[in-house]
Amino acid sequence: MDQLDLTIRIAGENGEGVLTVGDVLAEALARSGLHIYTFKNLPAEIKGGASMTQVRVQDTPVRSPGDALDILMVWNQENYDIHVGEVKPTGVVIYDPDECDADESLALTQIGVPLQTITKTVIKTMKSKNVLAFGILTACLGIPFDSAKQMVSESRWGRRKEFLESNINALKQAYVYVDENGIDLGLRVAVERKNGHAQLIMTGNDALCMGALAAGCRYYAGYPITPASDVMETLAKAMPRVGGVLMQTEDEIAAITASIGASFTGAKVMTATAGPGLSLMVEALGLATMEEIPLVVVDVQRGGPSTGMPTKTEQSDLNLAIHGAHGEAPRIVIAATNTEDCFYTAVKAFNLAEKYQTPVILLSDQHLSQRAQVMSRPDLSQVEIVKRKQPELNGSVTPEEFDRYEMTEDFVSPMPLPGRHDQHYVATGLEHDEHAHIDYSPEAHIRMTEKRHQKIESAVNEPGFVQRYGAEDAQLGLIGWGSSEGPILEALDRTLAKGYKVAALIFKMLHPLPEKEARAFIESIPVVSVVELNASGQFANYLQGRLAVSLQRFNIITGLPFKAGDIEEYIEGVLQYG
Amino acid sequence: MAEVPAADTAKTTTPEQPGQASQSATAKPLAKRTLKDYRSEVKPTWCPGCGDFGVLAALQRALAERNLDPRDVVIVSGIGCSGRLPEFVNAYGLHVVHGRALPAAQGVKAANPDLTVIAVGGDGDGFAIGGGHVPHAVRRNQDITYIVMDNQVYGLTKGQPSPSTPTGMQALRRSVSMPKMAPYEGVLEGQLNILAMVIVYGCSFVARTFSSQATEMAKTIGRGLDHPGFAFVHAMSPCPTFYNTYDPWKESFMPLPDDWDTGDRIKAIDMAMEEVGDGVFHSGVFFQDVYRTYTDKLQDVYAKAYGDEQATIDALMDQYA
Ligand SMILES: Cc1ncc(C[n+]2csc(CCOP(=O)(O)OP(=O)(O)O)c2C)c(N)n1
Ligand code: SF4
Ligand SMILES: [Mg+2]
Repeated sequence: MDQLDLTIRIAGENGEGVLTVGDVLAEALARSGLHIYTFKNLPAEIKGGASMTQVRVQDTPVRSPGDALDILMVWNQENYDIHVGEVKPTGVVIYDPDECDADESLALTQIGVPLQTITKTVIKTMKSKNVLAFGILTACLGIPFDSAKQMVSESRWGRRKEFLESNINALKQAYVYVDENGIDLGLRVAVERKNGHAQLIMTGNDALCMGALAAGCRYYAGYPITPASDVMETLAKAMPRVGGVLMQTEDEIAAITASIGASFTGAKVMTATAGPGLSLMVEALGLATMEEIPLVVVDVQRGGPSTGMPTKTEQSDLNLAIHGAHGEAPRIVIAATNTEDCFYTAVKAFNLAEKYQTPVILLSDQHLSQRAQVMSRPDLSQVEIVKRKQPELNGSVTPEEFDRYEMTEDFVSPMPLPGRHDQHYVATGLEHDEHAHIDYSPEAHIRMTEKRHQKIESAVNEPGFVQRYGAEDAQLGLIGWGSSEGPILEALDRTLAKGYKVAALIFKMLHPLPEKEARAFIESIPVVSVVELNASGQFANYLQGRLAVSLQRFNIITGLPFKAGDIEEYIEGVLQYG
Repeated sequence: MAEVPAADTAKTTTPEQPGQASQSATAKPLAKRTLKDYRSEVKPTWCPGCGDFGVLAALQRALAERNLDPRDVVIVSGIGCSGRLPEFVNAYGLHVVHGRALPAAQGVKAANPDLTVIAVGGDGDGFAIGGGHVPHAVRRNQDITYIVMDNQVYGLTKGQPSPSTPTGMQALRRSVSMPKMAPYEGVLEGQLNILAMVIVYGCSFVARTFSSQATEMAKTIGRGLDHPGFAFVHAMSPCPTFYNTYDPWKESFMPLPDDWDTGDRIKAIDMAMEEVGDGVFHSGVFFQDVYRTYTDKLQDVYAKAYGDEQATIDALMDQYA
């Protein structure tokens, strides 16, 4: 049997409800045992402007947003014109003939469904236009009416009893229309009601929040910014229930310094922001490195520079995340690859911060943070939690004898906590000695600089942060990081299947750099290219600087995520034409 | 963090509450502490005659009078001569970046409300670079005492004017007693009325004191420590090296009237505004009222929401199923 793989896009005026149709469709398909991957492209405005939502559905985990469209539904002319060019030659366009004229010269199947007129004259509640559109789509997918009815009743459209009847009526009208007009796309998507809660449908930000809570995060400070705000909003509801504190601060500088204060007392802390906020946090990040205070900073990257493109995606904060500091302020920088990985990477971020007593920057991005995917429900009892190294409780060491920055074998020193340990000390951003006393001597600066660097260097040995895929005897190697993993691996599978010799190396830890793996990969493959969503090749430049090697690059800067097809084409181009 | 019913306090992430470790060998749970117990091994690095010595001693005395265990005290500071104070106190200290003492102190207090949290810093630290944080610290009304050591000058960076430097203050050539960097006819900018600002922000405790009046300063800082909420102490503390105000301030300091009503915010604002024209500084508590603190309000939220943590997180995940 052929693998199910359909990419469906719904586009209309922002605020009209197209996003709801996409959300309900994605949820309903996910609850029916299928895998989904959503992709929304929104104008920055709250209302108005063209907006679209896309659902890719497969029967195995989906790795990228999908290339050309199998089904496009548009509600008006503007959106028809914008999107019709992206439909596959074998694809189908469903449009509202009262709202827009189809271009008859296109060799596509184009089906007119007067959504607006049916809603007005037959259903008579404008609110139910969404449900009608949903019904047209499920009917076209070959989903039986009874299953669709159950989907609607279990969705947000079924939540309010008083609207349920008219919503079900709208759904019925959709099936009647499809039936009476003999519309049949030949699709028979098999849906199977899944009971239980084993599968979760989450966005990257949802998963990240749950991972943070599972890791023990109990203090969050933040300032609203797209696309990180929903981290704060989700945690605002959750924190009081687990005894934590959520503080909306007056700016990002306050957010990070308040987090540092909370961590000083032993709490596990996080703040999340996007590029403009990370820029403001740079000075305090250096403070956390200097004082050796555990801290998780999430950067949901968006198009930059400056205010840039708040609702678009980019991997362009890497330079800032790794190098953004005055003086030398080493920190750990990691990146999540997909929704499920956001949960586990958040847990790891806390564990790394606690274990190495250092700030950890977790890079996500707009697309990863907002898209929905299906993931297996994490087993909380299996979540490993690392505790901060602390002095012995009730120990007899006096504060005068105690060395907060004692040189240990792993360069991590026991950290006393106020209210708990008698070994009080003053954490300072000034250079200091082992005893935390201010000391600008060459010896102290050399020792402490080395401590701060050495301490996190060993984090490269942490398992699971770099992974190789593909052919052993590859002719072309792709290097990627963070959320480009999915499209890279999908392109890899497609080209391997066509007989190309390609491999990929995916990094989830960017600093410290897993140099051994990088070098082995680069030296064993004739051509290696770094694939990333930025203009200058930030990771490529960093690798070149560290390894003194020469690398190819494949960059796009559309503000949109990679499609597997983009990378597939690139691989074929390089290997066919060199 | 959450002070929740006893049965629910088995949390892995938050340290045990203060008090649980009080039988340690190094703590002095019974003995009455004296000022000396709050002196650290580090000798203050301030210039001889700096007003900050007076503030340090007053704070140490106030801590001793309350017999607070150094283990349960955190002093948070930003950058400046005044910002060095935590180093000289035998307690926990958190010396952060310029202007951010208040947010850091709020994080400390939010994460462990049982700690005594004191923020200290200069007029530049608190009202130039960090000025944006003051109203928000006031709005949160956490039980924190904020001591601003106001010398009306940037001490650490050697004598530039600060937001509280009087308008028109002139740079005297080679003078060590006047602010530098004031062009032409002196400082062109207006002088911030720090005390009035904080009263207007809605602060629940606002007081002023002078580093040369040791006993009175210890008492005022002590009242700030006792105040359940955000307490602002305007500690006038001259910088004899860059802007020597000892003589004029000795002249202009006077106590608030005996019958001063600390419960009248409008009168307090009037007094803070008028004294500038009169060329006087009043010492004492200008305003005090007790409002519910951030921690109090959090307890209300916890009372409604708190549950078994792991089960709660599991339940939260159900919304995505
Ligand atoms: C971001 C930043 N900008 C500037 C400085 C330099 N700086 C250090 S202290 C200070 C002003 C100190 O004045 P004040 O806060 O009044 O403290 P004082 O020394 O008078 O006690 C300045 C400008 C700094 N440390 N950090
Ligand atoms: S420069 Fe002024 S404020 Fe700084 S220590 Fe010397 S006297 Fe005190
Ligand atoms: Mg000053």
